[in-house]
Formats: sequence, structure tokens, C-alpha cells
Amino acid sequence: MHKLSRSNRDKVQQFVAITGASEKNALQTLKASDWQLEAAFDVFYSQPQPRSNADVRRLEELYNRYKDQYSDMILADGISVLCTDLQVEPQDIVTLVLSWHMNAATACEFSREEFVGGLQALGVDSIKKLQEKLSFMRSELKDEQKFHEIYNFAFGWAKEKGQKSLALDTAIGMWQLLFAEREWPLVNHWCDFLQDRHNKAISKDTWEQLLEFARTVDPSLSNYDAEGAWPYLIDEFVEYLYDKSVVEK
Amino acid sequence: MDHGDGSVVLLERHSVQAAREGLITDAKDSPPSLLLSSQKMYRETIIDFEQGCKCLEAGVSELKRILEEETTSETLIDPKQYLELYTTIYNMCIQKHPHDYSQRLYNKYRDIVEHYAKKTVLPSIQQKHDEYLLRELSRRWGHYKVFVKWLSHFFNYLERFFISQRNQPPLLEVAMKSFRDRVYLEVQVSAKDVVIALIHKEREGEQIDRELLKNVLDVFVQSGMGTIERYKEDLEMFLLEETESYYARKASSWIQECSCPEYMIKSEESLKKEKERVTHYLHSSTESKLVEIVQDILLVSVEKHLLEKEHSGCSALLRDDKIDDLSRMYMLYHPIPKGLEPVADAFRVHVTREGNALIKQAQDAAANGSFVEAQLLVGKIIDLHEKYMVYVMGCFKNHAFFHKALKEAFEVFCNKKVGGSYGPELLANFCDSLFKKSGNDKLSDEAMEATIDNVIKLLDYISDKDIFAEFYRKKLARRLLFDHHKVNKEHETSMITKLKRQQGGQYTSKMEGMVTDMQLAKEFQKGFKGSLTKKPGGIDLAVTVLTTIHWPSYKKSTDLNLPREMVQCVEAFNSYYQSITTARKLSWIYSLGTCHVIGSFDPKPIELVLSTYQAVVLCLFNDTERLTCQEIIEQLNLSHEDLVRVLISLSCAKYRILNKEPASKSIATTDVFEFNSKFTDTMRRIKVSIPPPSMEEREKVVEDVDRDRRYAIDACIVRIMKSRKVLPHQQLVAQCAEQLSRMFKPDIKMIKKRIEDLMARDYLERDAEDHHIFKYVA
Repeated sequence: MHKLSRSNRDKVQQFVAITGASEKNALQTLKASDWQLEAAFDVFYSQPQPRSNADVRRLEELYNRYKDQYSDMILADGISVLCTDLQVEPQDIVTLVLSWHMNAATACEFSREEFVGGLQALGVDSIKKLQEKLSFMRSELKDEQKFHEIYNFAFGWAKEKGQKSLALDTAIGMWQLLFAEREWPLVNHWCDFLQDRHNKAISKDTWEQLLEFARTVDPSLSNYDAEGAWPYLIDEFVEYLYDKSVVEK
Repeated sequence: MDHGDGSVVLLERHSVQAAREGLITDAKDSPPSLLLSSQKMYRETIIDFEQGCKCLEAGVSELKRILEEETTSETLIDPKQYLELYTTIYNMCIQKHPHDYSQRLYNKYRDIVEHYAKKTVLPSIQQKHDEYLLRELSRRWGHYKVFVKWLSHFFNYLERFFISQRNQPPLLEVAMKSFRDRVYLEVQVSAKDVVIALIHKEREGEQIDRELLKNVLDVFVQSGMGTIERYKEDLEMFLLEETESYYARKASSWIQECSCPEYMIKSEESLKKEKERVTHYLHSSTESKLVEIVQDILLVSVEKHLLEKEHSGCSALLRDDKIDDLSRMYMLYHPIPKGLEPVADAFRVHVTREGNALIKQAQDAAANGSFVEAQLLVGKIIDLHEKYMVYVMGCFKNHAFFHKALKEAFEVFCNKKVGGSYGPELLANFCDSLFKKSGNDKLSDEAMEATIDNVIKLLDYISDKDIFAEFYRKKLARRLLFDHHKVNKEHETSMITKLKRQQGGQYTSKMEGMVTDMQLAKEFQKGFKGSLTKKPGGIDLAVTVLTTIHWPSYKKSTDLNLPREMVQCVEAFNSYYQSITTARKLSWIYSLGTCHVIGSFDPKPIELVLSTYQAVVLCLFNDTERLTCQEIIEQLNLSHEDLVRVLISLSCAKYRILNKEPASKSIATTDVFEFNSKFTDTMRRIKVSIPPPSMEEREKVVEDVDRDRRYAIDACIVRIMKSRKVLPHQQLVAQCAEQLSRMFKPDIKMIKKRIEDLMARDYLERDAEDHHIFKYVA
């Protein structure tokens, strides 16, 4: 907010007062409409409204239950309590799906907007309702398209703040978790290969292309094209598989 | 004017015209008689058909009789009789219905020629055999043509009016058709056999009557009635078949019996003869087919066998400098599509083998510890290149295939490693020793320029041109800094100019910068000298100020503890420099410095030319008698490695200015050194050389080049993507490799890595739909 001019700041406050939208949302909408209030209202009201059968007041209460003592965030401790309430293990993959629904920027953290907005979008306003949703969320992993989104989301979610790439240990953990849902026979070889030959962080491109590789390239590598645009690391992996005679040429 | 008058006028005109066309030589007295007779005829009564035919047949018999006699005179038919015939036919044509006999006359004409062909021409030919058959055919064909010509004169009116109005086939066509059907079709098979037999005789070296063949072949051509189909189907086809089997027999025996040059001479001769054959008697359209068959059989089908003949094939010809034979080979295979490729390939293989032999020789020598061969190698490769360039320009007529073959051959062995050195490094070393040559070894300016040109040519074959540039720059730096008295500036500039012309300005900008730096440094030194009121520290100080980016990266050595006098020098210069400019930062590189020191030895004082490091070490002994290696390191803050090199040069090499305890060839940190005051030499001035850390240097060059390549690839990818915006992976890699190949052969893996790096830095992204496609992120 500090970067805005006085008139724009006024507009944001006006927008929030009228629509009841969050400041972030107001800012985005106003920016997108070139700071024209009228136009921004049009945009705002023409957007599909989040399902409102989740009571905002009750969600706020829920948020406050898990919120960190010192900052306006749910941190690791809060999440641990949340997991206990939901009767799931913190490393259960369903927490990733939940984070994806909340569009959480980082693992083990929810901001107020993420938490409230996410639950609102899911249409739940109590732990009990959320718990009932868990099996639905697990089923979402079986959906090819959603799995793809969740997989790509996981990279940004799992990496350290401010880093461009994902630490190798975290990456391997995530892969083990994700590919448990979606079978890929080479996943253990991949992880061994990385620890053996690479031992460095994983770039976003490599992360995303790996799923593409797992999806499109046959485990016997019969349709692998060495001239293709696969990341360098995946090419090396293929050579490694041949070297180790995991796959016959 | 009544109708009759008009006809007369018309008649007159045509008669005159007929007379003019009808070979009547005596034109003077014919018009009156013509007019007379025609007027008479008009007035006379109608001529009936039988009567006219009688007159016509009399004329035809006369004509036949004359032809049989073979008279040579120009006028066969008496003009009077001719005129009478013409007029009779004319009249028969213009009589009013039912006396208009045009159609019947036309049929009569057909009967006459048919009869002549069938009853006179054909039987006389069929009586004869072999060559006589051809003679008769040729003779009778001549008669028939004359016969038809005269008939066409008689029937001229019919031709011009009746035929053109009724769209009937013209008289000549009718006659030719008769000949074809009645004579040609009957005799062509036997005639063809005789013709082919005669041609075979001629191929075997006998004399034959070419004129006769020419005439007979004319029958074949003319019988096609305006096309050459008959000639093609009835004769040419068989001739070509015969030719094929004839030369197939020849080829299989020649290739066994003859050497490659002999075979080529025979082939050349055969081709020439076949072409002559066409000009003498065959139809011109046959030439290309005949030549193609002969080329195909004699040259193409045996090409591999011929070129690879063990003692006389292409390789042997190249080995033995058979310029004529090689030129012949080029001339023979040049016109054949894809004929030259195998020749060029044989050339490439031969040159590659020669080059590899040179490399092998040098590699073996290097493996045995002798690097002399490696130094001579570049010179030998240049000689090899000159030798084969002569072939390309001479025997092979500057043909692009051979340029390519030569290039491919040289690319193979110019990029090989010899004794741990890359091709580009060897070439740079060659240049270095070339420019450092002095005294008797010195080349004339012309020879120098020629050698430079050759080096530039060889550089073209080197795939890692950037490595050459890096090594060359290193060597150039040493020449400019340490051997400037030997360096011929013109030669250096000439080399750089030529490099620039071939490789572009970017390639040489640093080298040019180095040369310019040396000049500016001289000016700067003058200014510095002028500003001094007294020598700082009692030393004549000369400083060469260089621009960092132009020069190879040197280790900056500011933390060396210099002797007091030298510190004064450095300070004096620093303050002068700051008075000139504040925008630039000076960093001193002592490792490149040279010092002249007077050594006060007991026998006599000697001037020592030393590196700054050596001088600094020696100066320590002004104050102390004995020092251990460890002490020297501590006092000077010099690295152990550098100090070892210095101490070896001062105590274990050619000149022993320091005594070492124990007196071994290697340096340990505990060794003790003292000044050798007994040292002397015949010279009054000696240069104590210090070996450069060579292995390290090579690794550094490779490292520097590697870094520069990463930048170059990044820049190239961004440049391509900036203009193309969206590009599939393979195309991007291919374009990038192609653009960079001017400078070096980029590793595809490296390009891939750089693409990924650029993606991580948000210059590129993958297409959301197709992960093989990259998009430029503006």
C-alpha cells in the first residue's frame, strides 16, 4: 500500500468499503481496470462470487483458532493442530491438496486470505465439514488434469522462499509422495540417479518436465527421443538407465 | 469484261510463274511460246481424261528412262515437254464440271508414285544384299526424290489449288508415304542389320563408306514423315542396344587388362569416336544417348573398380603426381551426373590418409618424449595443403566438390590432439615461433606473407577457432611484452588484419587492443619520464600500462613485499597516474616485470637480466647471508609454487647465482640458500630465464574459453529467440549450432544446458501446450 498515491489509496479503501472484498483483491481489480472505480466494480461483480454458504464469520473464528500468537498467519504449530483436528498425518498428501485449494504460497503456512478464501471456495465452514471433504480431495489426485496442476503447484509450494530451485531432498520427498499416487516405475531410479550423479537443487523446468516425461515416455524408453527438448538432466537420466542396464537399448 | 478474258489473264500469270519455278533455264524465249500455246489451248476443245493421261504417262516414262540412265545434266526433261505436261494438267483441272478431273488426277498421281516405288524401286533393292543393298537403297532413294520432284512440278497447279482447297494430303506426303509403305517397310530390317554391322566394323577399326551410311540413314529419318520416330524405333534402338553390349564386352576385358590411365585413355578415345560417328552419319539427336551409354558402361559401372585399382587407381595417381591422368579423370567424369562424387571422395580419403600419417608421426614422437615433430607438424600440414590445393585448382578445375573434399580431409586431422596439445594450440605456437624467428632463419617479407596466408587457411579447418584466438593472444602478449625487440610490427599487424578479414572484427578486437596498448604505453612512459625530477629509488623505471580487458587474465600481485627502492618506484608512478586520470584503477602485475640488476661478484660485476620475482629474491641477499626457503616465503609473501620456480632458475639451472644446501635439483622448504660471490661468466650481461608454468597455462586457456563459450551460446540463443519469438527446440539448437560453428563446434548438451539456464533466468519459457516449443519472454 505504501507505494500507492493518495488518490489510489482512497480508491482502494472505497472499493473495500463497498464490496467487502479483501485489500489484495481490491488492489488487483483496480489495477486491472486502470484505477477506474466504476469499471472495477463492473469487473468485481461480474466475477463468479465465491460460494457463500460458508459463513465468513465462522471461518474467521476457525482461523483465529489456529493462528500464530505473534503474527497474522497460521504457522507450523497451527497446522499441526489443524491436522490433529482433521485426524490426518501432517505428511499426508491430502495436506498438499488442501494447500492447493487454498492456493498457499508456501508449505506449512497459511495467510488469513488463503485460509478463509480456500475454505470458502471449498464451501466448508467447520472442521467437520472439511473432514467430510477429505475423501473428495483425495479423489482429485486421480484426475489427470488436477494431478498435473497439483504437481506443478507443489514445486512453488515446497521450495524455500526466495529460492528459484527446489532443494534435492525436498524434491525427492515430494516425488516419492506424488508418484505414490500415480504409478511411475522409474521413480526410485530417478531419485537414486539424482543423489548419485547430480546432487544439486532441481529447477522448475526439470520439475515440470519430469511429469511430462513420466506421462509420455514409456518406461522401456522405446519412444524416447534423444533429439527432443527434454531437460539436460532427463537426458542424463536416460543415459544412466542404459549404463546401469536398467533398460535395454 | 467477260469471263473468258479474265481466265486468260489468270492463265498468263500462272504460266509465267510455273516457268520461273520449273527450272526452265532459257527464260528469254519461253514467255511468247507460252502465251501462244495457252491461247491456243483455251480456244481448243475440252481434253478428256484418257487423252490427258496418255500425255502424262509419256512424260513419266521419259522421266523414268532418264533416271535409269543416271544422267547428271541439270535439265532432265525437255522444257517443251514439261510445259506441255503442266498445261495439260492445268487445263484438266480448270475445265468445267463434269470435265473437271482434279480428283482423278490426284488419284492418278498416287498411282504413278505407288507404281514406281513398287515395280521399279523395291525389286531392284531386294535383289541386292549386304553393303550392295545399302548402295542400291541409297541410289534408288536418290532417284525417287528426283522423280517426285519432277512430278510435283507437273502437278504444281493441282497442288496449289485443288489440294489446298480440299485439304488433301500434299503431293510430297503422298509420295513419301508410298515410299515408306512400298519400299522402306520391306527393306528396313535387312538395311538396319547391314548398317549396324558396318558400324561394328568401324568400331573395330575398319574403314567404311560413311557417305553411304549417311544417305541410308537419311531414308530412315525421312520415312518418319516429319518425325524421327521411324529412325528411333527401327534403327536407333537397335544401335543403342548393340552399343551397350559392345562396350560392356570391352569394359570387362579392359578393366582386367589395363591400368587405370590406359583404361581412361581408351574410354576417352571411344567417346571421341562415337561423337565423330554422330557428326558423320548419325542423326544429331542420337549423340546424347550414345554418349550416355558409353559413359554409363565404360565409366560409371566400373567407377569404383577403376578408382580403387591397386597400383594405378586414384590414390596411386595422386601419390605419383600423375597430373595428366588426374585431369583426364576429371574430364571424363565431369559431364556425368554424380560422376565426380566418387572421385572427390577418393581424393578426400587420400588426403586424409596423408594428413593422418603426419599426425601419427608427430604423436608417436611425442609419446617418446620428442616434441620436435609436433613443432614441425604445422609446417608440414601447410606444405600438404599447398600441394593438394594445386591439384584442386589444376587437375580438378577448381570444382566445388574438390574444395569441399579438401576441406573435409583437413578438418579431420587438423583437429586432432598431438602430445596433449590441440590443433589450435599447435597452430598458435607455430605462429609464435614464426614471428620470433630472427637471424638466418628470418623469412623474407613475401615468404612471411605467404606463410601467414597459409596459417589463415588452416585456421578455417579448425573447429575451435576461439581456442586458437585464446592461445594466440597469450603468445602475442608474451611477444609484445618480452620480445618486443624481435617483433616485426608489420608482420603482426598483417596477421591480425588477415584474421580480421576472415573471422570478423569481434575475433580480433582484443588483439588489436593489445597492439594499440603497447603504442599508448610508450607515449605514456615518455610523459612519466618527463614528469620526474629524479629517479625514484635510484631506479630507471619503465611502466607499461595496459587495458585489462584486452589482455589475458594475469594474476594480480599487489601483496608481494617489494624492496624499499621498488616501493618508491611504485608510489611515484601511482601518484603520477592519479594526476593524469582518476577514472581508472591501476593494478600491478609484478610477475610480468623485468629487472636489470648489477651483480657484484668477486671476479667481475655482471649485469643480470631478471624477472621481478627473481630480482626481489636476490635483493634479500643484500642484507642477509643465508636464508631458508621458508624464510624467503615469509619475507616476500610469495606463493610457494612461484618461489620454487624462481629458486630453481637461480640455483639449479644454467647460472648458479645462489648456492643451495643440500645441492640437489629439487627445492624443499628447509633448503638453505646463500649468495654465490664466486659466480662468473664469459659474458658481461646474462639473462636468467625462468620457465613459465606451462601446464597450468593450458588448463587456464581451456577454462577461459569454456566461460566465453557459455556467454556466446547465451547471446546466440537470446538473439535467435528475440527475432523468432517462438521456435521448436530442434530448430533452436540447430540454428544456434550453425551460427556458432564459425567460432567453435558447440556441444549440443551445452546448448541444452544454456537453454535451461535461460529459462531459469526468465528469458525463455516452454509453450504450455507443446513442451518442445520455446517462447521468448520479453
